[in-house]
This record gives sequence, C-alpha cells and structure tokens, in this order.
Amino acid sequence: MQIEQLSAAELVKRIGTGELTAAQCTDHFLGKIRDKNDDNGAFLAQCDEQAADAAKQIDASIAAGKSPGPLAGLPVAVKDGICTAGITTTAGSKMLSEFVPPYDATIVSRLKDAGAIVIGKTNMDEFAMGSSNENSAFHPAKNPWNHDHVPGGSSGGSATAVAAAMAPVAIGSDTGGSIRQPASFCGITGLKPTYGRVSRYGLIAFASSLDQIGPMTRSAEDCALVMQTLAGHDKNDSTSAPVDVADYMAALEKPLSGLKVGICKQHFEEGLGEEVRASVNDAIDVLKTLGASTVEIELPYTQYGIAAYYVIAPCEASSNLSRFDGVRYTNRAAAENLEEMYSKTRAEFFGEEVKKRIMLGTHALSSGYYDAYYLKASKVRRMIKNDYDKAFESVDLILGPTVPTTAFKFNQHAADPLAMYLADIYTVAANLSGVPAISIPCGFDSAGLPVGLQLQARRFDEATLLQAAHQYQTQTDWHQRSPQS
Amino acid sequence: MNQTLETTQAQRDAVTDADVTLIVGLEVHVQLDTQSKLFCNCSTAYGADANTQTCPVCTGMPGTLPVINQRALKLAIKTGLALNCKIANYTKWDRKNYFYPDLPKGYQISQFDKPICGEGHLTISDAKGAFETRDIQIERAHLEEDAGKSIHDETGAQKPSKIDLNRTGTPLLEIVTKPDLRSAEEAKAFLTELKLILTYIDVSDCNMQEGSLRCDANVNLHIKVDGEKIATPIAEVKNLNSFRAAERAIGYEAERQLRVWKKDGLGIADAPKQTRGWDDANQKTTKSREKEDAADYRYFPDPDLIAVETTDEEINAIGSTIEYLPSKLRTELMESYGLEAYDTEVIVSQGIGVVTYYKTVADFLTKSASGSKSPGKTASNWVAQEVLRYLNEQNCAIGDYPISGDQLGELLARIAKGDFDQTRGKDVLAQMLENRADLEAAIEKLGIKAVDSGEVEALCQQIIDENQGVIEQIKGGKVQAVGSLIGKAKKLNPNINPNLVKETILKQIGI
Amino acid sequence: MSNLAQNVAKLARIDLPDDKAEAVQEDLEKVLKYVQQLEALELPEDIEPFFGAIESVNAIRTDEAQPSYPREEILSNAPDSDGQFYKVPSVFEQS
Repeated sequence: MQIEQLSAAELVKRIGTGELTAAQCTDHFLGKIRDKNDDNGAFLAQCDEQAADAAKQIDASIAAGKSPGPLAGLPVAVKDGICTAGITTTAGSKMLSEFVPPYDATIVSRLKDAGAIVIGKTNMDEFAMGSSNENSAFHPAKNPWNHDHVPGGSSGGSATAVAAAMAPVAIGSDTGGSIRQPASFCGITGLKPTYGRVSRYGLIAFASSLDQIGPMTRSAEDCALVMQTLAGHDKNDSTSAPVDVADYMAALEKPLSGLKVGICKQHFEEGLGEEVRASVNDAIDVLKTLGASTVEIELPYTQYGIAAYYVIAPCEASSNLSRFDGVRYTNRAAAENLEEMYSKTRAEFFGEEVKKRIMLGTHALSSGYYDAYYLKASKVRRMIKNDYDKAFESVDLILGPTVPTTAFKFNQHAADPLAMYLADIYTVAANLSGVPAISIPCGFDSAGLPVGLQLQARRFDEATLLQAAHQYQTQTDWHQRSPQS
Repeated sequence: MNQTLETTQAQRDAVTDADVTLIVGLEVHVQLDTQSKLFCNCSTAYGADANTQTCPVCTGMPGTLPVINQRALKLAIKTGLALNCKIANYTKWDRKNYFYPDLPKGYQISQFDKPICGEGHLTISDAKGAFETRDIQIERAHLEEDAGKSIHDETGAQKPSKIDLNRTGTPLLEIVTKPDLRSAEEAKAFLTELKLILTYIDVSDCNMQEGSLRCDANVNLHIKVDGEKIATPIAEVKNLNSFRAAERAIGYEAERQLRVWKKDGLGIADAPKQTRGWDDANQKTTKSREKEDAADYRYFPDPDLIAVETTDEEINAIGSTIEYLPSKLRTELMESYGLEAYDTEVIVSQGIGVVTYYKTVADFLTKSASGSKSPGKTASNWVAQEVLRYLNEQNCAIGDYPISGDQLGELLARIAKGDFDQTRGKDVLAQMLENRADLEAAIEKLGIKAVDSGEVEALCQQIIDENQGVIEQIKGGKVQAVGSLIGKAKKLNPNINPNLVKETILKQIGI
Repeated sequence: MSNLAQNVAKLARIDLPDDKAEAVQEDLEKVLKYVQQLEALELPEDIEPFFGAIESVNAIRTDEAQPSYPREEILSNAPDSDGQFYKVPSVFEQS
C-alpha cells in the first residue's frame, strides 16, 4: 500500500514502531505536493526545510526511546489563515503576502507538541470569505475530482490537499461552513467543533464569534485522532471553553443503538439537488440499520440563517480587518499622507469580495443602522440557538445534507453572488448557534462528484458526531474512494 | 433650552456676565497601577525605549486575542467604590472603531453600554469658601485600553510621523462627570480632589507628566436672552496635562465662546462639537489641526472577549481594601483633633503618609500629660510648618523624614511642659535633623538645662539692678519695655523661659 | 441610499474611484436587500440578542509582566520603520 493511502492513525502507528520514519513520511508527502500543486493549487507554501528538521527531531526522539507524542511524525497541512512562526501566513490575501508571524497559533503549538509536522500552508478564499476558493488572491485551488469544479471554500486548499492525498490531514477553519462545505465538495471528512472547543488564538479572524478551527481528514477516525490534540482550553483565548475534552477515540466504537437522529424538514425542501437528496436518504437508512432511530424536528428560524449571517459576519469582519492599514505588518501603497495611505493600501491589497464585506459591515454598524441590522440579526441568532436547544431536548443528532448541491464549476456564480452565499444555507446555523457539526462523504452524483452528509450535535458533544460518522464509515466506503488526480 | 432661537446683535450686546452660566463636564483618563497591560503581559513601566514593550497582542497582529487583566478590574472597582459609584455585577467589552496609526487594531477595546462603574459622585469644597460645597455627579467610569504615541513632524514639512506602541494597551479608567461644574475653579477643585482620592486608595501614581492622569473638558455656555436660555456649541478641549492648564483652558473657553457667540450668535444646534487643544505656551485653545470626520465609532460588543461577572461579596471584599479616604480623614481631623478646615486641608492634601505622621505626633502629645492645651493644633502647626518645609526643601516624602512622629511628639511635650520655649524647640529640631540626633542628644548638645526657680530669681534681680532706666519706664506704665529685658536675660542664660522672666521681673518690681 | 458606497468606503478607508462606485453600490444593495428580510421579521419582545457563540463569563488573567518581544522581531514586518519606530506618512494633509 502506498504511504498516501494509509490513514493518519496507521501512519502514526508505523512511525512509532519504526516501520516508517517521520523523514520518509514527510518526504513522501512533500513530493506529492511538488507533483500536484501546479495542477490543483492546494498549497500556497510548502515548508520543506522546517518539515525536514522537525521530522529529523521526531525520528531522533523515537530512536532515543522517548515518547513521541500522539501525532508523532504525522504530516499536517495548515490553512494559511492560521499563524505559523517564521512561515509566511497570508490568509489568501495580497495584503499579507509578506507577513511572517513571530508566533505560532495555539493549535500549531499543540500539533507540534504532539509530534505533528507542518508540511505546508493551504490555499483559501481571501480572509476566509468565499465558498469556492475563487477569492484566493493568488490562485484558486481545484477540486481533485474534476479540475473544472471548485473545491469549495474557504478551506478549499485544505480539502483539496486531503482529497488529492497531498497530506493525510489538514486543518481548516469554519465561519459559515468553510470546513464542511469543501469537505462535502471534495469527498472528505471535516469537523467544525463547538464554538470555544478549539482555541482561535492565531487564527486570522474573519468573524470572531463564528470562526472555529477544525480537522479535515479522510475518515472520522483520523478526525477523532487529530481533534484529540486540537481540543482544549487555551488561556490565551477568552472565548475558549474551560470544558473537559472527551476521549474521542474511545467514543468511536460505541454502537449507535438508541441514538435519536433528528431530521429537519427545512433541509429537504426546495433548492436541494435530487441526487444529493437521494444520497442523504440512503445515509439515513444506513444509520437506521446501525440502530439509530429518526425523529422529525423543526428549526423554524434557521431559514433566516443566511440573512443573519450576512449581517453578523460582515459587521465583525469590518472591524477585524481594520488592522490591515499599512502601518505594522501589511503591504503599503504609495501615498502622500496618512489618509491616502489608508485608503489606497486597503483598496489595492484587499480583493473585491473582502472590500464588499467590509463595506457591508461598516454600513450595518454605522450610526442609525445598528439596531436594524446587527442588533436584529443577533436577536434572530438567539432564536436560531433556541431552536437548536429545543431540538436537542429530544434528539442526539441532527442529520441533513451539508450543501444543497455538489461542487459547482468555476465562475458559475460570478453573475449572482447571492446564489453562492446560499451554498452555506445548511451550514451557517451551526456557526450562529455554536453547535458542532461534521460533514462526511455519503455518495456521488452522476458526474462523479462527491455528496456530503452533515451531522450536528449538542454543544461539546463532538464525541457523538465522531461516533456516528465512524460507525457510518464502517458500513460504507465513500470515504475510501480517491480521485484520479 | 431653546435650540433654534435666533438673536439680534442688539440682544447679544445686551448680555452681561450675570446672564451667562458656564457648563463644564470632565472626562478624566486614569492610568491604573498594574504591572502588565490590560489585555497582554507586556510591562506598563514608563520610559522604556520605543517599541520595546510590545508583543503580537498589543501590536494587534493578525490572529492575536485579548485576555483581561484581573488587577485592572479590581482597581477599577476600587476607584468606583471610592467615587460612590454603583458597581456593575455584569460588565462587558465593546469595540470603538476608528483609524489612527497608534491604534493598532483599528479599534479600541472599551466599554459602551455596560461600564464597570455606574453613577456616583464626588464632593468638592473650597476651604477658603470660593464656592459652595457640593456633589459633582459622576456619570460612569469604564475600563479601556490606551493607544500608543504618535510623534508628528511639527515643522510643517510633512515628514513622516513616528509611532511608538509601548503605551498601547495600558489600562485606563475613563471617569466621566455629568456637565455639573460651573466654573474653572470648580473644575480644578474636582480634579484636585479626584487625584487625592486616587492617591489615597493607591490605584494610580497620578503622574501627570507621564500621562497617568489626563483630562479633557467639554465646555459650553448657557446664556439667558430675554427669558430664553440658549446653549453655545460644545468645545471638547483636549491635552490638559496639568490642573492649572485645565483651569485656564476652561476659563479661556468661557471667554472665547461668549466673544464668538456675541459676534455670530451660533447656538448648539448650528455647529457641531469642536475639538480644541490647549496651547500652554500661548495660553489659549486652538482648533484641532487634523481633519475630522463626523465621528462614527460603530461600537459593537467585542466578540473576542466574554463578560465579567462580579458578585456583591467580591465587590465588598474589594471595598474593604479601601483603608483611607480624604473625606473621612477630614472629618476625623476636625472632630477628633479639633482642627479648623484650613489646617485640616493642609495635612490631608499631603496624602496618607503625612496624615498618619500628624496623628502620631498629635496622639503622643495628647497622651504625654504635658499639659498641652490644644495638642491637635500644636501638632498641626509643627507638621505644616516645620515638617512640610523640610520635605519641600529636600524634595523627599514623609517616609524619608528623619524624625519619627513619636520623637516630634516628645519634643512638643517638652515645650508644653515648659522645659524650653518654642524658639528653643525649633533649635532642637534643627539639631536633630542636622546631626540625625535623637531628642536627648540634641538637647544636651545645645546645652539646654532646666533652670530652677532660685536661678531665675537671681538672674532677674541682676537684670533689674543693671537696667534701672528700663525699670523706671515700666513702672511709668510702659510695660512692653520688659521685652528688651527678656532679650538680655536670654543672653545671660539661653535656657531661661522668657515668660517666666517676664513674670518674675514684674513681680519683683511690684507690678 | 444613493451615496451609500462612497460614504461607507470613506468610513472604511477604502479608496473608491467614482467610476467604480455605481457597480459597488449595486452589489451592496443586492445583499442589503436580501438581509432586509430580517427587518420585517417579528420576534418575541423580550428576546435578548446573542452576540457571541459562548455565554460563559470571567476569562481573566493574573497581572504579571512578562518579557516583551524583541523590537526587531516586532518591527520586522513593518513596511516602513527606522529600527525604533514605525513610520507613517504625515498625519496632516497638505494645506
């Protein structure tokens, strides 16, 4: 079996026993990136030297008989919106094309401490604003199943990297669906944890109250393995939850009997592609054979999710992105005076979608509009959260499609940005309410593009998500299929 | 208030000072005395080289997040309690968005609708009675992070500005008064009292040169015209970095606004709030040079921070750390030590160290059974004159004063007992200070000895014998001439008690 | 709403040339029109806004000064600095 076909868990095991060295493993994936990146654009940077040094240390440590950490030697691709000390971190923007952070994001430190090796920084929509990767300021990543199609976004590079076997594991971030939607489009497993479960320290913020970092892997098992390292309280992130972390790996093997799965009618109404619907319905049957029962539930306010999201996220973004002003770490446009420096720098180095969202948010927060937009949207957000709280009184999981369609083509939504925004219709509610959600592959359409199944759970109940996803994957092989490219 | 009343030149010319009320509200920024910044662990120490006290958090680097400093919260609550504020059990953080190069994130983390301290008040009074004692209402006090420092090229050559972010993120408590102050003197009194309180409760070093206490004043006038009240446009005067500057700037604004209004008649609804700076060199306020947008700070809750809840028990526990407040000490000095308002102020305004010292001296004197008739007043005279003069001359704090309160008390007790007079007592004090001597050593060094009554009588008889001319004058009714004899007696024996000499001479010559 | 794009661009410090303003305006209006469905939505009167996805309280740290970052490391990303200060074009406009 080729190295790239091994699961993350298997790689770590083999490296731990010396059957495979971290150096061999790292070299192998770095080679894959070199081979494929020109074609699929998954990475913005690869970290040859740092990765080789780290691998050498892991191998030395293993040779010395030291405990190598739960992810020892595991190559990891990290979304370029997450800060890595000494490695250029652009967030997919020209604004930060020269930015080299002097510090590691908390999750990068945690990964390194666990023995993982950062092999590269993955492509993304600029500042995570987008659902197709077309908003990358550098080049788009391409869907490995068909290069004419988008990989989804904003963590499109991470999804492409895993689907194209350029990395066994990637880290993404999810503000309105940015892990789950590309996972769905690329046929991989992607987990958006509960808000507060994984530290955001070092994640270049898009919308702080919605952003959450999570793992993108081939299987639920790998997802659990990586999540065990990512999860946990961080004193540097005030919004990080002081809640104990469950044993995700142990949870995987529990049977699903007695599990109540909520099916939300609204997720199956107009707009859902027929082939997606069919695959999701098949998945429901699989879960039933595993012992789960289904209950119909309602989430009436989730239909306003996209509208609330497109107020709240731009508002927060407009403020979060004010720091990109040409003074301290961004590029700077030539200017005669300060005001000109601000407006030219921000006009020149931000992309169009980013500028649009900054302007939207600036407008929505400005004097006289706050109540109608931000405040109202935040109240709707409360209603959505209440919907979830109520639903989870009677069910353990909520099941539905991740995205209404499979991956669309490049430029397909160029004329109508709102249609693109609707790609997040099933995913934003988890961000607004803070609940965890996972997308796993559950079939393919007639064009051979993957379909994703979304499961959502109670806050801090990632264990049940991973358990159900893993049990489903014991009965199906969608997650084991690989694209030709 | 009439917002739109138009006035004629004649009406405006007819306005006199009696028709004009000055309206002042203050915004005071107090740097809280913490080791580290409000949201990161960088030091707040003053005076370091530019940009050496910064980190990814306080320079607003992408991805960084703030975590609140517990001591800043405690000091804010302590200050609020000292200012009689309602302390919020629930407080949260908001972003105030504006662009400026010394504001790294493009927003300042502050508190908008749920400040840590709600309404309170501070009492101002004037020992000389320049205005009536009254409560100035405090609107709120909230925590926020300071900005950095911009060093602009003032030559007009448009050279680049330099930015130092050391100060960025330093915890500030912004104390906002209601527009309650009615004169420049009141404003100065408010600031003086505020600073005194902050110093007593030890929440800030209040060093104005280092910017630990900064003040902005919102100033306008209410003018009565034919029974209607008109308000002039508000000016926010910034850069008031001394109490004197605040007093003068407010006085200047009062004058300027009246002058301008008499000319243009523009009211508060006709002109936006203006930002002005105090030009200390030319003793005037000037309109800010920088271009200003109509401020739209787009406040919204900071999603990177979570709320802070403080229980009443926790608030009470913080309150119990307030040991001394100037108002309480004033009452104590007046009621228990019998001091007048003026003398009280002299002591209390010096801070808790001097108050404690004073009380030690006065208590010692009271307990000494020396027969001192007004130990409180005597101690206050000595502390106010002798001790404070020394501290001033030596530019040192009371903690560095070489003589303990008990020693000074003992000295005053010896004077009260009549061992030697006050003038001699001051010689003793000087001796103690000069040679770091204790009381007995100083007395011995000066050769001070008690003079027994036989000696006094003998010495007086000698003086009477040798100064018959003067004695005749006294007998002739010019009793004050005895003064010259006292001088002679002191020359013969410096330890002699002048009062005793006077009494004895008069007795001996039968007056 | 006619000057919305220009006003907002100014507030957001994004240079917006006149010839682009109209297209941007249209773009913004499309999204605003969509999100305005919220305005009409009736909600229970006592509903509290939900601002953050976490409702715990009191993430607080001890007041303790720790060493700062080396200045050269902090300034290394700056587009213009003299090794001590960040430098920015004059705050004042040419008069």
